[in-house]
Amino acid sequence: MAEPLLSVKDLCVRFPTERGVVQAVNGVSFDLEQGATLGIVGESGSGKSVTAKTLMNLLPRSAEVDGSVVFDGRDVRALAKSHENHFWGVQMTMVFQDPMTSLNPVKRCGEQIAETLRYHLGHKKKQAIAEAVELLGQVGVPEPAKRVRQYPHELSGGLRQRVVIAMALACQPRLLIADEPTTAVDVTVQKLLLDLLDDLRRDRGMSMILITHDLGVARGRCDEVAVMYAGRIVERAGTETLFTDSRHPYTDALLRSIPRIDQPSHTRLDPIPGRPPDMTGLLPRCAYAPRCRYAQADCLTAIPELGGIVGLHSFACFHPANTERGEAALTANLDAGETAAGLRIHPIVEGAH
Amino acid sequence: MAGTGLAPLRDRPDVLLRVEELTVEFPVGRHEVVHAVSGISFDVAEGETLGIVGESGCGKSTVARSIIRLNEIRGGKVVFEGTDLVKLKGEALRRQRPNLQMIFQDPISSLNPRRKVRDVISEGVRVWGGGKGAWSQGRIDELMHAVGVDPRFGDRRPHQFSGGQCQRIGIARALAMDPKVLICDEPVSALDVSVQAQVLNLLEDMKKRYGLTLLFISHDLAVVKNVSDRIIVMYLGKACEIGSADELYEHPHHPYTRALLASIPEPAPTVDVSEGEISGELPSPINPPKGCRFNTRCPHADGICLEVEPQMEAVGEDHFIACHHPVAVSISV
Amino acid sequence: MADEKATHAVAVFDEVPEPFSEDVVKRRLGIGFWVAISWMVLITALALLAPVLPIDGQNVIGAGSKLSAPSLHHLFGTDSLGRDVFARTIWGSRVSLSVGFIAIAAGMLIGGPLGIIAGYFRGKIDAVVSFVFLSLLSFPSLVLALMIVNSLDRSLKVVALVLGILAIAPIGRLARANTIVYAEREFVQAARVIGAKDIRIMVREILPNVLIPMGALALLGMAVAIVAEGALAFLGLSVKQGATWGKMILEGSDIRTLRKGTYVAMAPILVMFLTVLALNYAGDRVRSYFDVRETAF
Repeated sequence: MAEPLLSVKDLCVRFPTERGVVQAVNGVSFDLEQGATLGIVGESGSGKSVTAKTLMNLLPRSAEVDGSVVFDGRDVRALAKSHENHFWGVQMTMVFQDPMTSLNPVKRCGEQIAETLRYHLGHKKKQAIAEAVELLGQVGVPEPAKRVRQYPHELSGGLRQRVVIAMALACQPRLLIADEPTTAVDVTVQKLLLDLLDDLRRDRGMSMILITHDLGVARGRCDEVAVMYAGRIVERAGTETLFTDSRHPYTDALLRSIPRIDQPSHTRLDPIPGRPPDMTGLLPRCAYAPRCRYAQADCLTAIPELGGIVGLHSFACFHPANTERGEAALTANLDAGETAAGLRIHPIVEGAH
Repeated sequence: MAGTGLAPLRDRPDVLLRVEELTVEFPVGRHEVVHAVSGISFDVAEGETLGIVGESGCGKSTVARSIIRLNEIRGGKVVFEGTDLVKLKGEALRRQRPNLQMIFQDPISSLNPRRKVRDVISEGVRVWGGGKGAWSQGRIDELMHAVGVDPRFGDRRPHQFSGGQCQRIGIARALAMDPKVLICDEPVSALDVSVQAQVLNLLEDMKKRYGLTLLFISHDLAVVKNVSDRIIVMYLGKACEIGSADELYEHPHHPYTRALLASIPEPAPTVDVSEGEISGELPSPINPPKGCRFNTRCPHADGICLEVEPQMEAVGEDHFIACHHPVAVSISV
Repeated sequence: MADEKATHAVAVFDEVPEPFSEDVVKRRLGIGFWVAISWMVLITALALLAPVLPIDGQNVIGAGSKLSAPSLHHLFGTDSLGRDVFARTIWGSRVSLSVGFIAIAAGMLIGGPLGIIAGYFRGKIDAVVSFVFLSLLSFPSLVLALMIVNSLDRSLKVVALVLGILAIAPIGRLARANTIVYAEREFVQAARVIGAKDIRIMVREILPNVLIPMGALALLGMAVAIVAEGALAFLGLSVKQGATWGKMILEGSDIRTLRKGTYVAMAPILVMFLTVLALNYAGDRVRSYFDVRETAF
């Protein structure tokens, strides 16, 4: 098997704050092949964005980072220390949620793209502007020659995000990290942007990490999806497998809690109880255990490692859903009326709604 | 899409709230106005949940805020139990306020950071002269319990609660007024995915328990469908399609409704989204297109769409659209 | 499989205990704040107790020799008229502190409500109030001081009044700006929806939020007023009767006095410096202390 393009091992990120140490990422490992798309799905505070920022060397100085990140044989964390300027933005780039934060409001769009080209590739100004027009055309901006002279506030949200994408693609990156790229835009625009990213990625043979809180966005856009919870990857599988045959109770419950368009209206939802854990006080147990219907005594004393068949379907759970072991745990909990973590559960009453 | 016309109004005795030709404009600069809502008409029957869905800038929040008179209204009527709220002023308007309550989008911003949550919830009771004595304390406790916030934590301030808990507190504050209509403006879009379902279920429970009529505004098509009996699809200040929730999603007639449904990242197999292509982006609400407002993006737009504004017309039982070229629907799915 | 899923358990919510995000580290004002407050308490106590303290009267001349160096008997020495500088510094603090306090109280009581009303109602009221604030800020403050003090008299009341008028605009504008921010917030709209009257919303919802930045500015403003009194003294516009820090510095910076006894000017300068520093520091700390976290994460 060929070397993966990106290999992350045991990544840990901590932020000391006034309220205590935030354990944002707690041992994340994954590989990404050349040309593949990995979706990272999680709620706010799950560590998905921090993981991306670590890769992009965008963490604040106060962050404590452990583990290794290797990109095409190069140690990314060592690059950060050696003040390598032509790696981020060239080999690896990122698109953020809010295009206004990545665009300078007082500079014309064309100049901003051209600046990237001049800085990293040493283009002359004229050549860089010409290429900026070209790039805007490629990302589907109508009338690119006119747009290069406009300021970001003159563009709609969707166009701005296209400008940001053009900027990210300027230096032909091999990996694009898209952090909630469509959260700030409307559904109709979201679809167009996701289609665009898909096409660009395919045309350029680029790898992509798509970070989102929206399971629907990940589905159909990614080869593989990793679900994060409390700073860990709790499940990773090929997209279809993950959505149809999930093993981790969190993934399973999340999929069931979301209202679906093909259900009749007033379908009773099946929510996840409680809320995500406080990231300053994680205990040595499965972080999801207090909200989990399957939780047994062992979930409260040890942290399950990411197991299963790595590369095919891996999950970090002692009593995975949709398995014999898991069903036994659930049945035991239902009989007892509560889980080992003290969560009261009872079987659904049909037609309760 | 420019759905004007009173066709969708129902002649039923149990209509609690009727909005007629509501028009809202916000001045920008010297001579220009944003046409936020342009002549929208609908009604809500008692005990019903009406969903309003659309993209940002379609005017759905403005409709909500106009009904409870949080912004200036240019024209039209908002008739609640036979009273036109638009005509009310000062004290007369204030007297109507408790009947129509609202849940806001940002649960944290909607609670005063410097007040204890018990005070936040009981503020309405105190405004109307109650608030002292065991009866009202007991009622506040009961409300907190009903929405799933432990009354023992009543002395804490909002920042000590999670977003989901803050939204529950906001719901309790509204319920304390014993309202007839509860307007929910994107109540779950600021919440974590795993907490959304909790709040949606809570709203359904509270609706049943307190006999509420709900107006539910969201950009999320799946969420709106889940809670609504009837749905309005809005575009650029106009209604384009109104119908019962299941019917509208199964047989969308309007090209824009189809486009919306087709844009969902994970289209469901039971929803017919053929001919749901859409291009371009939302035109400016300062200079909305003439004729049908959707004509700049619609795949079916032709001459008449550029000139003539379509009127709301019935296409089925309790199903109305405003379109010159409705998409022919294959009834067999 | 699908049917099997339908029988899955559902949790009972109102019985689920939810962990709370406690502030793990209690917010602290810090030792510096308490040092600053101690200084203010000390100086205020000395000012209040001046008549009963065993010190010279403020204008007692010849209690010692002229311009004698600091000693046990005269802690800060004596000035060119032989008056005890230590005693005069304490007497002077009465004027300086009252001027600062009264000026800021006037600014808060007039500027605060005006700013909140303007920021809450906007429209015409706002236009008028903002214009008044702007005029006050644009009018040369020294000319204003000259005009008022000359046409009235050089009493404590008038000097405080002048500085109070000057404090209205900055405090009012801060109150207005903060009110505009909070009036947009959803909790204010929620209060309107509940049926609260405007006055109640301004007092209950907006004031508690606006008061903190205003209080912080008031502390800074007091410092400014104290310094301003010094400036007025140099123009001969400070309080006529008795010692003030400003007048003492003026007298001490007379060239001959300065050459023979720097301490005459240095004592009030040092005390004024420490007081202004303490007020500024306390104002800063108060602001950051009350900067509430408004998110749960």
